[in-house]
Amino acid sequence: MAKFTVNEELLQQIETLQTLLKNNIAGMFGGNRKSKTYGSSCEFVDYRDYMPGDDVTKIDWNAYARFDKLYEKLYLDERQMHTRIYIDASRSMDYGRGQKAEQALRLAATLAYISICEMEKVSIFIIRDSQVIDVLNGIVGKEAYIGSIGKLNEIEFDGDSFISDAILQSRVGHGDGMSVIISDFLTDNNYEDAIDHLADKRRDILCIQVLSREEMNPQLRGKMHLFDSENTRKSYRKKIDREIVRAYKDALQYTVDRIKNYCEARGAAYMLTNAEDSMAEIFFGKLTDMEVLK
Amino acid sequence: MTFLYPLGLLGLIGIPILIIIYIIKSKYTEQLVASTYLWTLSEKFLKRKNPISRMTGLISLILQLLAVLFISLAIAHPIVTIPNAANEYCFVLDGTGSMNMVSEEGKTRFEMGKEKISELVGDAVDGSRFSLVYYGDGTRVVFEGETDKEKVLVLLDEIEPSHCETDTAEAISEAQKYFNESPSILTYLVTDTAYAAHGNVEVINVAGKEKNAAINSIIPVLSAGRLNVSGNAISYLADATFTVKLYVDDAAEANAVETVEVKAGESTPFELACQCKSYKSIKVVLESDDSLALDNEVIVYNVKSGDDSYKILAVSPNPFFIRSALSATGYSNIDVMLPDEYTGQSGYGLYIFDSYDPSELPRDGAVWIINPSASVDNSGFSVQGDVTLEDPSTVTMSKDSSSVVRKLTAGVGGKDIYITRFVKCGLYRKFTPLFTYQGNPVVFTGTNTYGNREVVFAFSLQDSNLPVLVDFIALVKNFMEYSFPEVIEKSSYYCGDELSVNVIANCDSIRVDSPGGKISYLDTAGAISDYTLTEVGTYTVTVTVSDNPRVFKIYSELPESERLPQASAEDFSLTGTAEPGGFDGTYDSLLIVFICLAVIFAADWAVYCYEKYQLR
Repeated sequence: MAKFTVNEELLQQIETLQTLLKNNIAGMFGGNRKSKTYGSSCEFVDYRDYMPGDDVTKIDWNAYARFDKLYEKLYLDERQMHTRIYIDASRSMDYGRGQKAEQALRLAATLAYISICEMEKVSIFIIRDSQVIDVLNGIVGKEAYIGSIGKLNEIEFDGDSFISDAILQSRVGHGDGMSVIISDFLTDNNYEDAIDHLADKRRDILCIQVLSREEMNPQLRGKMHLFDSENTRKSYRKKIDREIVRAYKDALQYTVDRIKNYCEARGAAYMLTNAEDSMAEIFFGKLTDMEVLK
Repeated sequence: MTFLYPLGLLGLIGIPILIIIYIIKSKYTEQLVASTYLWTLSEKFLKRKNPISRMTGLISLILQLLAVLFISLAIAHPIVTIPNAANEYCFVLDGTGSMNMVSEEGKTRFEMGKEKISELVGDAVDGSRFSLVYYGDGTRVVFEGETDKEKVLVLLDEIEPSHCETDTAEAISEAQKYFNESPSILTYLVTDTAYAAHGNVEVINVAGKEKNAAINSIIPVLSAGRLNVSGNAISYLADATFTVKLYVDDAAEANAVETVEVKAGESTPFELACQCKSYKSIKVVLESDDSLALDNEVIVYNVKSGDDSYKILAVSPNPFFIRSALSATGYSNIDVMLPDEYTGQSGYGLYIFDSYDPSELPRDGAVWIINPSASVDNSGFSVQGDVTLEDPSTVTMSKDSSSVVRKLTAGVGGKDIYITRFVKCGLYRKFTPLFTYQGNPVVFTGTNTYGNREVVFAFSLQDSNLPVLVDFIALVKNFMEYSFPEVIEKSSYYCGDELSVNVIANCDSIRVDSPGGKISYLDTAGAISDYTLTEVGTYTVTVTVSDNPRVFKIYSELPESERLPQASAEDFSLTGTAEPGGFDGTYDSLLIVFICLAVIFAADWAVYCYEKYQLR
């Protein structure tokens, strides 16, 4: 079972970050996310002529003194978004020293904290086989976050996972925030339908592909009979030499390019990360550069 | 092919073992990985593999099998037999004085000769047999039928050139023996002498264009407080002008200097003179930067004792003959007494007992015993009785070529010496018979128990015609010199000469120190002890008499024939017909095996790296 610990210092730092959502906001009232409609936030955006029945407290008296006409101040509306984070809990994520799983949990917890800081609702799910299973459902506020984030450590990474099947069957919301899929994506196309579905639902999508160092730069050489951790009936038997490794790297590049292109085509963000990359590097570097955060 | 250690081939058992290990060994390492997705996908991106890459496993096995094979061979130490490739070699190496000449390369001719032989030995097929006949200070076989090349080279390295001259004939004679035994033998004569023709022998001439000059015939004459030294200088190849210097008694600076102009090949006399009342030694130095320094210096030592006054006591009933003979040879200091008057007197250098047998031999001088009638204690011989001959019979003079005999019979014809009666003597000490009658010694010399020299005439002078012959005077003169010997009679010799040291009475030891530091002790049992001079330079002879050492010095020069830079000699050949042939040689292939092993290990390592680190 993968375990992670919350780096409080990092959390303090990332409180300054904010997710950048592209789609229209359709969340619940009372959030911290600025809507494109007028509302009751403190952020002034425009004036309009006063009409009887309007809130007199929003009359701009300074403007009345200047123009001798009543103007009502307009403010942006603020909505509460719902960030949904999906963690691939297949066995392949936790094989070996569990670095991928730990990295996935750290990413989920950190992203959740960013959303919590923006007064958004956060749900964390795991995908196992063809199901989406709740880990944290709709938590709001730091207190709730701190009280429940430890549940992530109870996640067991085992079995197989079918991302598309699972997400298509679940409630994903509509235009009310970001959906994050954290997986190694070492699968054949079972994520494409999920991305399409989330895009249809006007969700902001972030796909994070987590790979271990060994997967990115394999050191295996010689005659090897490799068995898949998710399904030991799948095996690969070959004398691994430089040519094989080169072909492997080509295959890796192909896989990365395919998912990246697919995401770009659907307006989704994609990030490849090494299981050993630091959170600071990811959040203040890669995600900021990708303008997923600001 | 043969093997020195055939048990080493047991290592070949490793070959099937290795194959079995390869067969039963799990070829693929099983490992669980997170996902085989990318590995499986990589098949689509795999380019066609190099066939060599596919065979690397097999190549590795083959290399390891070869490694086992060659390790086994290395342990077994294979020797390859090469049919008819080996030969028998006989090297005749000139080690005479001229081989000391130094070439322009800074090597002596002898060193170059040894290098030539080393090259031939090195090039010879293993299993060849080598013999080396060396001639320098004599002829000797250094090694014979030796097959171990390293041993041959070691023995060859130990040989040094002599300063002597030696006839090649004896060495060629030794080579002839090997040739007779094996007509296919390859005979090489390594020398600096030029031979126009040399059948069955390949001559390796190591002579170059070395220059040489020398001095010889140094004669010092001391007269009226002046020392005159004459000698000859010679330059062998080119006209030259030399400076000749004279040093008296090891003087630091030359006592006389002379410039001599010498024409090539011509002996040019020179003279050096200086004030001198007496000298112990003179050294004449020819200043020449030539190839042979051994003949540029001559030292002459003065060995004459100057003490030639001898007292003689003759005890004889009839001393006429002996007195006459002694007088004729110039010895006049003689006391004569009748046998009755002799009471064991002493203090004489020589005691002559003629027809008288003393009860005890004197201890302080030489003794002549003429016509003994009874055995005398400590005389070294016993009287066995008179033999009277019916007719006067001739005695036979010894033909022994020893220096003692030559010296004592010098000037003696030895013919027509008759005797009518003699005393038969049994010799139980080492005596040198000079005249014999039918094998019986009638005149003989030696030393008695007291170490004094002894001369015996085993007949009465009256019973022989000897006293009336000229031979008697010569014989008496020789015996007088024998009785009163100079320890060393001359100081100048050539290498190869015999130094004769007269063993004086009561001599404890004679030690000879050669110029090279070699120490020899000579036999003091005989009257004369001989020593062969083999080095150029000053020999020191130390004669110890009654714990009193007397030191003499002599100088040995390089023989004149060895001073020629380019000598030639008559043609020669080995008798018989050379036959082609040879015998099975061997080749020690261990080095090749090791090289192969190294290549195999390197190749296996390369294959390993190719697989492990993908070195491409």
